[in-house]
Amino acid sequence: MSDVASAIQVENISKMYTLGSTHITLRESLASLFGRKKVDDHTFWALNGVNFTVMAGESIGIIGKNGAGKSTLLKILSRITLPTEGRVTINGAVASLLEVGTGFHPELTGRENIYLNGSILGMTRAEIQEKFDEIVAFSGIERFLDTPVKRYSSGMYVRLAFAVAAHLEPEVLIVDEVLSVGDAEFQKKCLGKMGDVTSSGRTVLFVSHNMEAVRKMCSRTVWLENGKIKMIGPSSEVIDAYLSDVKDNAENVRPGARKDREGNGRLRAQEIRISNPEGTHLQSGSPLKIDIDYEGDAKEKMTCIATLGIHDEHGRRVGTLSTKLTRALIDISSGDTLTWEIPRLSLTPGKYFINVFLAHRTEADVVDWLQQAAAFEVMSARFHTESDEVYYHKDLVFFDHNFRVS
Amino acid sequence: MPSKSYVITKDQSLFSFKELTAYKELFWMLAWRDFKIRYAQTFVGLLWAFIQPSMTILILYVVFGRFANVQTGIIPHIVYSTCGVMAWTYFSYVMTNAGNSIISAQAMVKKIYFPRIIIPLSKAVVGFIDMGITALILAVLMIVFEVPLSGNVVYLPLFVLASIVAALSVGILLSALTIRYRDFQYVIPFAVQLGLYITPTAYPAEFAINRLPEWAAILYFLNPMAGIVEGYRWAILGTELPHLMSLWSVASMLIILVVALFYFKRIDGKIADYV
Repeated sequence: MSDVASAIQVENISKMYTLGSTHITLRESLASLFGRKKVDDHTFWALNGVNFTVMAGESIGIIGKNGAGKSTLLKILSRITLPTEGRVTINGAVASLLEVGTGFHPELTGRENIYLNGSILGMTRAEIQEKFDEIVAFSGIERFLDTPVKRYSSGMYVRLAFAVAAHLEPEVLIVDEVLSVGDAEFQKKCLGKMGDVTSSGRTVLFVSHNMEAVRKMCSRTVWLENGKIKMIGPSSEVIDAYLSDVKDNAENVRPGARKDREGNGRLRAQEIRISNPEGTHLQSGSPLKIDIDYEGDAKEKMTCIATLGIHDEHGRRVGTLSTKLTRALIDISSGDTLTWEIPRLSLTPGKYFINVFLAHRTEADVVDWLQQAAAFEVMSARFHTESDEVYYHKDLVFFDHNFRVS
Repeated sequence: MPSKSYVITKDQSLFSFKELTAYKELFWMLAWRDFKIRYAQTFVGLLWAFIQPSMTILILYVVFGRFANVQTGIIPHIVYSTCGVMAWTYFSYVMTNAGNSIISAQAMVKKIYFPRIIIPLSKAVVGFIDMGITALILAVLMIVFEVPLSGNVVYLPLFVLASIVAALSVGILLSALTIRYRDFQYVIPFAVQLGLYITPTAYPAEFAINRLPEWAAILYFLNPMAGIVEGYRWAILGTELPHLMSLWSVASMLIILVVALFYFKRIDGKIADYV
């Protein structure tokens, strides 16, 4: 008998993928039927014997490195794909914020897309009609309601899409922040929506790389590694254990040898060198240079977006360097070195990690994404004077500043 | 939200007829979207819907009516073949669009759950616009050539139903096969092209019965549309009742339907893994 208080019960879930045979041709299939040639049956387990229960009204975080099985778990819970083994019981209607904008058609107007998207997300026409004004007000696109969405800016598009999703009233909400790379406004809205849902006593499953957000929003956290639960328990304990594991990884494993990465791998970060071109150690107020060597089968130049994220020891994001911030693209091929330069480092002394992200033209086409790819330590502070140490103990960053009395 | 509580296991069938009814609004929304995109957005869209069947009718008339001098009894060839084109247009539209539907809806299929079969099913609706336009052309031609509407027309809905079932069966089967084996994408345009000739659109099906050995005639009638097109003409123009051989078309249609549903059901839970 299932417990009435449980919202999600995951029992011994496993998911096997067969690599290389998803798009088999008829010929290969026939050949294997007659035993001539075996279809390459290289398999791997994206999830392997995962068990946990989420109580109704509980917020649970799911963390883990890229490729740990987080997305597969979400896909199974939202019924997009079936598990190879095991059983999931869900009590209550489920909505997931990984489906924002699904089914939007560029030729249709904002109004039409609200109806279309709403019904794809499972709302009835009557429900959409009832919430229509609210959705429009929330999105702030009143004036463009009858304009085809292909003429919308990407910000408007996301706002409208999110407005529809935010007006679903699920008992279980699944949020995959990992999929919403880079859009700060969207991430903020996701977190806000999650807060609302949690405080109204509904269940939230939150997948994120943002450890601070998980710590804040979720009472318990599941840490997935290689398709298995490595640890489950109170968020602070799990996150601390995860971060210390990540630290070991970033310090001791060469980026090129890491397997926990995402992307098509046409280029991969092999070596990362972090240096101070003006001195021997890294320090506040001095320049910082990060060199990333890329190798892969991309012998021709590829036009890419590159992003580098800096996190502190607690997993908090402290800053981002990105070609996207200046709306630029870079051309890069195998054997090239991507160099980032910070003219004057404003980080306070402490330990930091960098995530390196490379995508082909759009952020959706990920080439290589390695989290905690490298670690560095900012030593003494010389941002303002020789004796900054006295003041920085609680600060995250230094600011250039002036003052005057008049 | 349609699904309140559920259990997910490996061998769960992802669509049930009970669930399909819960998603009927999505079915109509998808059909409405296709309609909007195809016709309501551009003037050319609507014009194109007239040009396409008109050209087909004209060319069939020139090739079969004039060059080959196909005899169609008291009914002028152009009227005879337009009636065939009316049934064929619907079938080819629905088969093509349903067949490609799941591949074209990849983004949706990868992100959200709903019964996948809704996607090909929803294509059955918009095909009626094309059929309606051809029916309009047929009506005009019947007036011009003074061909009276047959009293058999009360049976027309039966044949329309048959063409929906036939088109969806083939469409659903192709949509599932295309997901699994990409090669089938190339089969669809080929099937449409051949289909126009191996279906008795512009000539009587008796040709197949009288001029082919029996086994070949049976093979000919295994095309579900062979019997259905004859049925349309009987119902609208009052030509001879479809030959008994047409039962092969019915049998073949039902077999394709069963195979399509079984195969679709088999790959249903894995669609997101394949696309």
